[in-house]
Amino acid sequence: MNIAISCEGADLTSAVSRRFGVARYFLIIDSEGGALSVAENPGVTAQRGAGVQAVALLLGRDVRVLLAGSCSPGIRRQLEINGVEVVTGRTGTAEDVLQQYKRDRMASGSGGQTARRRLSMVLSCDNLYEAARRSWKQLLSMLPIMLGVVLLVGLFRGFVSGTLLKTVFSGRVGPDTFWGACAGSILAGNPLNSYIIGGEFLDQGLSLFAVTAFMLAWVTVGLIQLPAEIAALGRRFALWRNAACFLLAFPIAIATVLILAVLNGGPA
Amino acid sequence: MTERSQAARLSGSGRRIGRTWIFPAAVLGVYGMLYLMSPHKTGLALKACARVGLSLAVPLAFVVVVLFLLNLVVRPSHVSRLLGERAGAKAIALSVVAGILSVGPIYAWYPLLKDLKEHGAADGPMAVFLYNRAVKPFLLPVMIGYFGWPYVVVLTSLMILGSMVLGQGMQVLARKH
Repeated sequence: MNIAISCEGADLTSAVSRRFGVARYFLIIDSEGGALSVAENPGVTAQRGAGVQAVALLLGRDVRVLLAGSCSPGIRRQLEINGVEVVTGRTGTAEDVLQQYKRDRMASGSGGQTARRRLSMVLSCDNLYEAARRSWKQLLSMLPIMLGVVLLVGLFRGFVSGTLLKTVFSGRVGPDTFWGACAGSILAGNPLNSYIIGGEFLDQGLSLFAVTAFMLAWVTVGLIQLPAEIAALGRRFALWRNAACFLLAFPIAIATVLILAVLNGGPA
Repeated sequence: MTERSQAARLSGSGRRIGRTWIFPAAVLGVYGMLYLMSPHKTGLALKACARVGLSLAVPLAFVVVVLFLLNLVVRPSHVSRLLGERAGAKAIALSVVAGILSVGPIYAWYPLLKDLKEHGAADGPMAVFLYNRAVKPFLLPVMIGYFGWPYVVVLTSLMILGSMVLGQGMQVLARKH
């Protein structure tokens, strides 16, 4: 576990900084191995957002505990909702503060107490609010496309006959799975929408092979987002990964339907 | 993960929400045009929409509850930590969990993945992470509503297994090149 101490200097004999956001250095100590690393606070010279830069640095270094002189409520909240325990009101040298923390932890560190402390962190008002806010945002980001997909499904039912679909999906395992995977590869997006469209396809009489391959390719293969994936992860990785996911849709779709058939005691 | 990508994540990403309404608005526009040509069929289409929407209401309520509970205990930083391992069986296993727990559009995750790759993360765990983004615990109520429990259990298990095979395959390919 990594413990960070906001300090005025770059070693354990330095004084703990009075304010977290403007500390010159962070000493990051691995509590198990004892390894010490020093990070300059990128926010110390910043005109604005010093605290946020410092938070980003600590999260990037996988810090789980922060020992500091003081810390603003906003920064404390950011750290705690990211699972960092914030201990303030510490003065003296970094070494003293670290030893004090270890003693406190040993004194109060029974399994039950630690679990209770974690539970109270999870159920804090800030955390509940943050979870509700995130959930709302995520739901809001899903709703428009989902609404559009539901509207499209309506159009499909109103204007497209099932026989048209059956000209492509003939009921044969191989071609159905292939065309299902092709359709899923071209389209992309939230898995939720693939369930809605997949459900509609099933209602229209398509085989479960085709629907399963469609849903698998929908999320794992992304021709639309391929340029973005190439830019982020490289051409070789992106092309291989998408090709492999496309091919993987076949055995997984076929195995899923066959296993289900065995479980149900009937033919696929 | 570097501080840059963490700072980007912390600064929030709610700007895309407004643009996503263009799609349903466009589909509604198509409804409007079709209504002029065939009011009866358009009415049937709208009724079908309402039926699908109603059938989604209960599973979506479960989605909200599960989403809230997941957000209560899982943070993006937890997912980043799980992805911290560079290679090997442990990295693959942790990437499965990270992929399942990750939320939000894939575009939001590319900067983090790019950072991890630049810092030596192997291809296998990356591919496993991306594959397991298809397994979404908070969406399972909807999937179960459409396809039933047995299907969801079998498909999800095979997807996780398949992702591990994919991860190993990507590792082998990466070593060859």
